[in-house]
Amino acid sequence: MSSNNVYVIASSMVRVSRYFSKSYKDLVIDVVNELTSSVGSIDIDYLIVSNVFSDSILEQLDISTILAQELGLTPKPTLRVETGESSGLTAITQGYSLIKSGIADTVLVVGVEKCSEFPTPTMNKHFIKFLDYEVESIYGLSIVNEVSLLMKMYMRKYGYGRDDLSSWSVKMHSNALKNPYAQLRFLITKEQVVRSQVVSDPIRLLDMYPVGDGASAVLLSNRGDIVNNEVLEIVEIAQATSQPLNLREDLLSLPATKTVFNKLLSKSKLDLNDVIIEVHDSYSILGYLIIEELGLVERGRAPSIIDDLDNVNLSGGLKARGHPIGATGVYQVAEVFKIMTTGLGDIRRDSCWGLIHNMSAVDNNSVGVLVRRCSC
Amino acid sequence: MGRGLPVGIVGWGAYIPRYRIKILEIASLWGFDPQLVKSLNIEEKAVANVDEDATTMGWYAARSAITRAGIDVSEVGAIFVGTESKPYAVKPSATIIADALNLPNKKLASDLEFACRAAGEAIRISLGLVSSGMVKYSLVVGSDTAQANPGDVLELTAASGAAAYVIGPKESSVAYFEGYYTYISDTPDFWRRDGSPYPLHGEIFTDEPAYFTHIVNAVKGLMREYSLKPEDFDYVVFHQPNGRFPLKVGLELGFTEAKILPGLLNPWVGNTYNAAALLGLARVLEESKPGQRILLATFGSGAGSDAFSLVVTDEVKSKVDKAVKVTDMLMNKVYIDYGRYVKFRKLLVRV
Repeated sequence: MSSNNVYVIASSMVRVSRYFSKSYKDLVIDVVNELTSSVGSIDIDYLIVSNVFSDSILEQLDISTILAQELGLTPKPTLRVETGESSGLTAITQGYSLIKSGIADTVLVVGVEKCSEFPTPTMNKHFIKFLDYEVESIYGLSIVNEVSLLMKMYMRKYGYGRDDLSSWSVKMHSNALKNPYAQLRFLITKEQVVRSQVVSDPIRLLDMYPVGDGASAVLLSNRGDIVNNEVLEIVEIAQATSQPLNLREDLLSLPATKTVFNKLLSKSKLDLNDVIIEVHDSYSILGYLIIEELGLVERGRAPSIIDDLDNVNLSGGLKARGHPIGATGVYQVAEVFKIMTTGLGDIRRDSCWGLIHNMSAVDNNSVGVLVRRCSC
Repeated sequence: MGRGLPVGIVGWGAYIPRYRIKILEIASLWGFDPQLVKSLNIEEKAVANVDEDATTMGWYAARSAITRAGIDVSEVGAIFVGTESKPYAVKPSATIIADALNLPNKKLASDLEFACRAAGEAIRISLGLVSSGMVKYSLVVGSDTAQANPGDVLELTAASGAAAYVIGPKESSVAYFEGYYTYISDTPDFWRRDGSPYPLHGEIFTDEPAYFTHIVNAVKGLMREYSLKPEDFDYVVFHQPNGRFPLKVGLELGFTEAKILPGLLNPWVGNTYNAAALLGLARVLEESKPGQRILLATFGSGAGSDAFSLVVTDEVKSKVDKAVKVTDMLMNKVYIDYGRYVKFRKLLVRV
């Protein structure tokens, strides 16, 4: 029986990796086949595709129609979503909106990105497009440069040394070891982090996400009872934008993220320690700032509590699961769904609530989704 | 398939220019992280002088090969030069080297191009020519003054050097070919367009989908077809674009580090492209003992790999000291700074 509620009823993904012999279509077909074989025959009303670089590196516009043709979903309508690095979670909110508005009953959300098609210099030309070209990137400024400024400020303000900020990466790699879909499934030490290559001082290679390809699919529906497995209800969605970094009063706060968290948590009195949380840690310093913004820990204290944090980025986060740009937000939802229902590999939690956060650049925009396990 | 071909290496020769530049000097000039140099396992690289090129170095190595072979040059029926830095875009290098060595006019002669594995292909062709009886001896030369775009990571490794092999009848060989396997695909990992002075490369594409995939498939193919196991080999020599890849691919294939290190010259010579694996083999022949088995695996971008299984014969001992050894050339070195390196490699355009 249909309702006005929106449920996550199934999810699938491929391991984030470098797929030299698979096209973006192959990756999408793999995840959609896996998803449909897990739920059986379900009518899909709408296909939403989250992808950032299709026209930059795949010479492809209207990628959602092309994929609908490839997947045999015609004549169903489609939509491609692009809001920078947060595209994936924006796509989920768009699917939610279609169902809430009554336009669709069931929406297939696919996130896909091929980032290892070209070498770094080519990809860097595209990665900087998340910033304002006329104000920032034209001067050669990229996200990592902005993030490195934040990291320096954070170290100075709270008296941290470079070594103190390696705990995030170490923890994420430890988490990713258990996630079968993570790109970097190996342990690292704090020493390895500070010894790794400088990307933009003080940011080192092991402070940031790896470049990888990925595809993930999430099935949203207003009917939670059409599958046999447990499902999650999307209780709240939130999206916000903020001023560019150069116009912010406090560089160490994340205004859009703050707005998103406030909206997500305003109606529910949740103990955050009981919530499965996935945040957008493209750089370790952003991981610290986000959980401080969330109120999980007071400002300036995040690096010291990481070792004991056992409900944040169980997937390994962007740092170690990987960050296939447009697909990342869809991965986050797909992972939280599995963690709270059937299990993500051996990772399974009985928590009733899940909170997912995805953003673009340094909080240029931010998206959040709050889910609840229906059996709770 | 029968074990052992009626073909072997009759003589070998090598050439490493005596000039060396420390990799950290190049890294420091261009702002590379010293950690990168360490991770690539490279110390220094050989630099050819202003008056050296692929033909002069190739000639030197070939002369040593013929001296070690102790053959009458009039019986050499073919010469192949594997290079990607030939002095003439059109006009064979093989003819220059052949005439300088007094090879007969009645012969096959060609330059081969397949990035760093052209000389490996030359060995494969020579196996066919010798085993069919079309020629008695075939001379294979791998020689390169490897080009690298100044400031590109490739500049940390691209070096100069040459190696040459006389391929002939098994009876007079220092090591005979027991088997071979070649694995080729169209993989755009590294290339130099016509008219471009420097090659370009696709970073990660040179790694897993290129070097590792092709060498692993060639070596596994060889071991499968000839029922060989990693333990059956006493030495393994791989193409060596840096000091790290050969160790990584060797360990991945199940070989011990001790079997890889004797033929790993890259940390002290650099990547001599077509000469890289063949110089490693020359170094191994110098210390090998009769009956020992050597695996040689070339690699060339574009991409392909030839794997050969060689068995050393009693002849090897008497040949080692007949020409300059790799071991000696490794010790004979003069360090130069980046300025002199720029001059030697003609990186400044003068009119």
